[in-house]
Amino acid sequence: MDPQLITNPTGRMQLALEAGASAEYVVLQDAAGHEGEAEFEISLAEGASLKMVFLSLDAAVLRNRIHVSLSGRHAECDLSGLYLPRGTQEMGFDIRMDHLVPECRSTQLFKSIVDEKAVARFFGLIKVVPDAQKTEAYQANHNLLLSEEARAYTKPQLEIYADDVKCSHGATVGRLNEDELFYMRSRGISLPEARLLQQMAFTGEVLEKISALPLREKMLEQVDNLLRSRR
Amino acid sequence: MNTLLKIENLHASVGEKEILRGIDLEIKAGEVHAIMGPNGSGKSTLSAVLAGRDSFTVTEGSVTYDGRDLLSLSPEERSWAGIFLGFQYPVEIPGVSNVSFMKAAVAEQRKQRGQEPLSSAQFLKLMREKMAYVEMDGSFSSRGVNVGFSGGEKKRNEIFQMAMLEPRLAILDETDSGLDVDALRIVATGVNKMKRPDNAFIVITHYQRLLDYIVPDVIHVLYKGRIIKTAGKELALQIEEKGYDWLIQESE
Repeated sequence: MDPQLITNPTGRMQLALEAGASAEYVVLQDAAGHEGEAEFEISLAEGASLKMVFLSLDAAVLRNRIHVSLSGRHAECDLSGLYLPRGTQEMGFDIRMDHLVPECRSTQLFKSIVDEKAVARFFGLIKVVPDAQKTEAYQANHNLLLSEEARAYTKPQLEIYADDVKCSHGATVGRLNEDELFYMRSRGISLPEARLLQQMAFTGEVLEKISALPLREKMLEQVDNLLRSRR
Repeated sequence: MNTLLKIENLHASVGEKEILRGIDLEIKAGEVHAIMGPNGSGKSTLSAVLAGRDSFTVTEGSVTYDGRDLLSLSPEERSWAGIFLGFQYPVEIPGVSNVSFMKAAVAEQRKQRGQEPLSSAQFLKLMREKMAYVEMDGSFSSRGVNVGFSGGEKKRNEIFQMAMLEPRLAILDETDSGLDVDALRIVATGVNKMKRPDNAFIVITHYQRLLDYIVPDVIHVLYKGRIIKTAGKELALQIEEKGYDWLIQESE
């Protein structure tokens, strides 16, 4: 099934997947100057499977709140996001993943590239209730800072009340890798191009989540153009 | 023959520590020079300084390459001018495939050298041709640069990249370290195929082994940041037999 594209959502969106249903959404946020909050209230019934990829490319202030309730066994939720604030932009995700029943699986992969004086925020909570045994829940937030004044705030949290679970979370904040840059330059790739290649490599993991190739290519091009325009 | 590289009284430091303490070296087109020496003598520092790594500070001396002041050029400008460094520890670049890495490198090189860009078909043909040089199989091009490569594959990748970029001066920094005999032969064959009257090689090595395959015109022994001995290829055999001690004693 092809992913559905949601462009610049505002306000509150409710999404309930029935038993056995599956869906894929790509949420594109590219409205220059936009300030706002988008809220996603999601529930997955037994065996439902949801994939959602957020691409936050442009906005003045953007805040995404995502609340997922895994309320039927064997439900699966795969959330990922790429957010690229620059200038004085602020972009952030506030995620709560509730594992309410046994044997569900959730993954989260959120990556930011922060340039100039921009701010990236990530708050993510995985909550596993006592009854939700055999839960698998993973969360990762990686931030790449391109300037001295860029900021990334990250707060991954796990609240686990069941004892037979596989859970992990991790967060990193880093800069472009000097060894990689030198290696590329020594092969004749100019510094701006080397920086761009490294940024594109960083974004790849999220963009590859988009299963439909034409849409993935289109998004990849948009991200490439955006990163290129910043040089 | 033309002088391709001339190093005069080169001093370089990391922080307060002086590592190169007055190097003089002249390389002509068509020559293969080997630089040998014990660990910590400054061999890798010399290659890094020539490639433009900015963690080293040149405090004295000059390097002239093809009539230009090499030290004033950025790493990419040196590459455009035909300098290539084969890394002792090739860097892994996750998320960038070998093919896109080489595509970017070749495109930029050709642009800077005023050559027409290659079509996709031409580029892929070139890739295949040069991959065969180092006996790389097809799956290699879609893999991330050096990611998950064995030691031997990484070194073969360096030689592959060298073959793609056709440098005029290639500096191979301990390309033989960590290689088994087969990989060593593959690497050496790749180098030998590329030897021409108008290019030159600096082969940095610990062991005489590599020099059985890549026969140098001149061997230099580096010790404590200085060249303490320069001789013909027979020196490698003497070093293999007697080690470096006698040379060090001779120089002190």
